[in-house]
Amino acid sequence: MSASTPTRPAVTPSSTTAPQQGAANDHAGPVDPAQKFLRDAAIKSADIAHRDIIRFNMESYATAHQRGRGRFKDWDAARRRCQEIKREAVNHLDKYLLQFEANVTARGGHVFWAATSEEACAYIVELAQRHKVKTVVKSKSMVTEEIHLNAALEKVGVTAWETDLGEYIVQLRNEPPYHIVTPAMHLMRDQIRDLFREKLNEPGLSNDPQELVAAARRKLRQAFFAAEMGISGANFIVADPGVIAISTNEGNGRLTTSVPRIHVAVTGIEKVIPRLEDLATLWPVLATSGTGQPVTTYGTLIGGPRQPGEADGPEEFHVVLVDNGRSGLLANAEQREVLHCIRCGACMNTCPVYRHIGGHAYGTIYGGPIGSVLTPHLRGPNFEHLSYASSLCGACTSVCPVRIDLHHHLLHNRHDSAMAGHAAAGGRTQWKIFSRAMQSPAMYSLGGWMMRRGLRALYALGLAGTALDPMRKWNIKRAPVPLPAQSFRAQWRKDLGNGK
Amino acid sequence: MATANNPSRELILERIRAGLRVPAAPAGPSPALSDAFEPVQNALERFQAEAKANLMECFLTADAAASADQLAVTLRSLPEGEIFVQDAPSLRRLIEMANPQRAIRWSSQGGPVEASQATITLAEMLVAQTGSIFVTARCGGRGASVVAPCHIVFATTEQIVPDLHTALSNVQQQSKLKQNSFACMISGSSRTADIEKILVQGAHGPIRLVVVLQRGD
Repeated sequence: MSASTPTRPAVTPSSTTAPQQGAANDHAGPVDPAQKFLRDAAIKSADIAHRDIIRFNMESYATAHQRGRGRFKDWDAARRRCQEIKREAVNHLDKYLLQFEANVTARGGHVFWAATSEEACAYIVELAQRHKVKTVVKSKSMVTEEIHLNAALEKVGVTAWETDLGEYIVQLRNEPPYHIVTPAMHLMRDQIRDLFREKLNEPGLSNDPQELVAAARRKLRQAFFAAEMGISGANFIVADPGVIAISTNEGNGRLTTSVPRIHVAVTGIEKVIPRLEDLATLWPVLATSGTGQPVTTYGTLIGGPRQPGEADGPEEFHVVLVDNGRSGLLANAEQREVLHCIRCGACMNTCPVYRHIGGHAYGTIYGGPIGSVLTPHLRGPNFEHLSYASSLCGACTSVCPVRIDLHHHLLHNRHDSAMAGHAAAGGRTQWKIFSRAMQSPAMYSLGGWMMRRGLRALYALGLAGTALDPMRKWNIKRAPVPLPAQSFRAQWRKDLGNGK
Repeated sequence: MATANNPSRELILERIRAGLRVPAAPAGPSPALSDAFEPVQNALERFQAEAKANLMECFLTADAAASADQLAVTLRSLPEGEIFVQDAPSLRRLIEMANPQRAIRWSSQGGPVEASQATITLAEMLVAQTGSIFVTARCGGRGASVVAPCHIVFATTEQIVPDLHTALSNVQQQSKLKQNSFACMISGSSRTADIEKILVQGAHGPIRLVVVLQRGD
């Protein structure tokens, strides 16, 4: 257990610059996402400054997470409770969504069901236009990133301000969030100071985080009190009282849902949970998995617009329930549990692939293991390559607070992709040969003999890592693995099998 | 329900039902809540300890006079300007005793203005397990606990419940969410660690959260 304080990277990274505008969003576009992923991942994993930053962040997280888990009597029992709560919810999704809808409607709220991103955006844009909205304040919502809501609002002349500090920073940089919990994790304070000096017109700003936060607060307070509409996400949709639950630390979610005249909550249909009491387990587990905190500072519950006799609050309350491919996952009894995800980010923080390539290289809104599992379902076969963005080590599964069997789902997605005929022809042939060889000891033995002889000759000629080398992918950046003189079977017969 | 304006509602429900016709993987046994969390022994001590860890200022007072004194001390530490107070008889009495010599806006006149120096409210209950205060819209509205740089809560030790589960069960049993469009469990001042994981208090909401906790009722 490494409980020591992580060392903050000393360098000001020059290479962690923003990607080109839109470069890391998940529009398929003309570039093949698989090729782009390989290229971006290679660049990022060779970027030492980037790695220092991510290591610092992940070590800080690991210490806090470890400490947070220690507060539970039995962390695994808490995870199992969360798993069963979500299983119950997802397996009765229609019932609980309807119960939520009825309860919200009874308080005068509106619930809109959107099958696609376009439908969700169209509803919100129409609402904004009907109320002559000019400015929108947003608290963090990954679903609004997924449906590209800001772009839809911008198109009709509505300015949307992200108000979560991390989201605000990446919005000013014109880039997507780097991480679902800490969107500006890839930036150091000097970069944020320079950004604020320029974009907020505060030339005297120092790099003191307190001062930087105060500058953002001043600027965003103006936005909060000018905005006609607030848009939030929801961490949970609680069916029996009919409320959304929002977890925030900064209070931006509070202001977003209190001050403007209209509040719109945009969330995925899978966020539903049956009972209010379920939050007694889910709130502490989400906070611990997200940041290591016992609970987030604000656990807000909202079930409607301002009621008679209440001092303040929005006049209108809308909930947009986004499907966008989620319901398709239900038909697969095994993969259904992918919908249990509570978006805590723990799987990313622990993933060795994420720790090397960072959040932007995935080219998707949801990165890391859960993003690699989910994105092919939400965005189609163009993102099936992400099933291979994993060493299948299972670290993600071991930390998941709702116990999603993430690495097995990645394997499952690979299988489904191959069965659907999406694997490259060359790969299919290779696997066919491999499969035949594995079933025939003679062929296997012959193959091994040819490889040992062939590779020895090739390496002797200095051709390791060249186009002629079948081990090129490995040898191009590494020294070749020494070749054994004999096959394993021969060694077994001679020595090993006799206990020598 | 406006299904006419929402053609996808039935479509999504149909997709969900079609998907769920495939039988689910068998559920595992769900451990009891008491397997996951240690029970709270001394609720008052636990509340004080957790509140301190949450960077709240918690003052335990013996009676109304002591509470009024503490309130006056806290208000004197703030810059000049208007304060916002939840319009409740107990707070009217407390304010009268504390005599803050400031402009006061009562919740019966609407929400707090942006320039308010402090907001003073009651709480529905306090949660020992997490050192939290639980407020609803009845506690002066939504803005009352987030708009000003300082939020002062007046509560009594009898309002402390041991854990989150008790708090949420009470909310359900007493239909608090039927009567209120808003509720919030607040565990400290507003904060962020978005810059280099360094904790900064007072992100968008209060920089200080002060609890004046009076013994008995």
